[in-house]
Amino acid sequence: MLVLLFILFAGMAIGCALAVVAQRNPLYSAISLIGVFISLACLYVMLAAPFIAAVQVIVYAGAIMVLVVFVIMLLNVEEEERRRGRLKFLLPLAIGLSAVLIAEVVFILVSMQAPLVASAPAGPAVGLTHSVGSALFTQYLLPFEITSILILMAIVGAMTLARRGGLLSATARIVPGAAHLPLSLIDPAVGHESTEGVEAETTAEAERLLGIDNVSRPPKRN
Amino acid sequence: MDTAIDIGLKLVAITVAFTVVLLIVAYTVLAERRVLGFIQGRLGPNRVGPGGMLQPFADLLKFILKEDIVPDKSTRFIYFLAPVIATMAALMTMIVYPFGPETRIPFTDYSLPLTIARFDVGLLYVLGITSIGVYGIMLAGWSSNNKYSLMGGLRASSQMISYELALGLSLIGVILLAGTLDLGQIVENQSGWHGMRWFIFFHPLGFVVYLIAAIAETNRVPFDLPEAETELVAGFHTEYSAMKFALFFLAEYINMFTVSMLATTLFLGGWNVPFAEDIFGRGTFLFGLVSAIGFILKVIFFLFLYIWLRGTLPRFRFDQLMNFGWKVLLPFALFSIFLTATLIFLFPGL
Repeated sequence: MLVLLFILFAGMAIGCALAVVAQRNPLYSAISLIGVFISLACLYVMLAAPFIAAVQVIVYAGAIMVLVVFVIMLLNVEEEERRRGRLKFLLPLAIGLSAVLIAEVVFILVSMQAPLVASAPAGPAVGLTHSVGSALFTQYLLPFEITSILILMAIVGAMTLARRGGLLSATARIVPGAAHLPLSLIDPAVGHESTEGVEAETTAEAERLLGIDNVSRPPKRN
Repeated sequence: MDTAIDIGLKLVAITVAFTVVLLIVAYTVLAERRVLGFIQGRLGPNRVGPGGMLQPFADLLKFILKEDIVPDKSTRFIYFLAPVIATMAALMTMIVYPFGPETRIPFTDYSLPLTIARFDVGLLYVLGITSIGVYGIMLAGWSSNNKYSLMGGLRASSQMISYELALGLSLIGVILLAGTLDLGQIVENQSGWHGMRWFIFFHPLGFVVYLIAAIAETNRVPFDLPEAETELVAGFHTEYSAMKFALFFLAEYINMFTVSMLATTLFLGGWNVPFAEDIFGRGTFLFGLVSAIGFILKVIFFLFLYIWLRGTLPRFRFDQLMNFGWKVLLPFALFSIFLTATLIFLFPGL
């Protein structure tokens, strides 16, 4: 019974994983990836690790993939054309690498057969919420806290990137606050080798410093 | 042999639970129309059967018999998949809720817990399946190839992933109080004080945050921007007709029902009815019956609250919605965790 379920979920995982790569519509690929995550969660449940399974569904299938699908919908990504001839040299390389990977797996399975069976019963409570929680907050506290600081840094970084002006065109307005502008961004004629820039608080000040306050602008679009 | 009886009992339990829930959901629709009618000073549907009691079945028949229109330029596979995902996700959460305590079946020796499935991470399971439900709405909006649908789908998904955070955080206080993620155990832990040791008394701020976030999660008034009819026709289900529309409709009302069940289970003591245990004794059939009815009545109270809000409140603007979710509700949820954690720290025997 368990073997049948394992074959079902493992087959689902592999099938969905193949579909992720094979689909040319990015949205179909994303949906297949959700399928992969859900079948993996089912496999975790079979391994008596319900907490990991639930977290897998909540974090990967429920949060990260929602953002991926969201971006695909927002950008309205088109179906990808099949490109011929490009990257053909990667095919033999891929076959070679996958052969190495399969050989490794076979080697591990053959050589580790005896100890694998011996270490399998790791205790009935190993994947439950209580055991995962107490391990995270006692034995692995330092890695746990470092990971949270890493995530905090990622959040702050994303905020900074989102708030910065980025590439300004000549019609853009500078939000009050110090902004360092390379001159070539505003006046393409200067060329990219110019590293000259100005510090300005407002658009008008930046224009005056750059000497482009008299340049005629295209009419505002509304 | 015992396994066969177990499986048989489970099947009976599933059938009974789903029938009862779907009937209540069907009558919620009718109740909503009648109560809205009352609030707005009109009658509401009262012609089909006595007092309109057969209206849900007439509506169902209408949905089945209507013409099924599929837009030409839609992405067909996903267009058909979306309502299925929405309904499946809504129905799947139903299996973990404890409808009642362990109950002896009359005239036999069998005891049956009034829960379909019970596992260690019941609460996380509910949150996980709920987050899968977003895809139904997102994909419906995208695959219809209609700008109103797409706008509705984008709004729905951004709203749901924003309010999911506050919703999840508001539940942490309950987990701290109960010390478990198992919904059955959470309800058991609230059975002290003659069945009145409800977690709402220890975690009131979290309850308020949960209630608001749950209304936003189910896309109901005043957070029903994904289907704001004055701006978006009908939002993500603009292009859906006949039975596929009925599936979305069903999913919305089942979701209302399940978030009400979660609120009851976590904050209002689940199936605990005050003094029921003292009168009937634990494990008897009458105790189980009274508890299950108490549970359903508490859920119906929340459903009524939903309808009442719909008849009373105007709709938010989208920027107000996002500001409220991120800048008001989320800090309040964090603060409620702090309060409850302090309470537990000061009174460890709680």
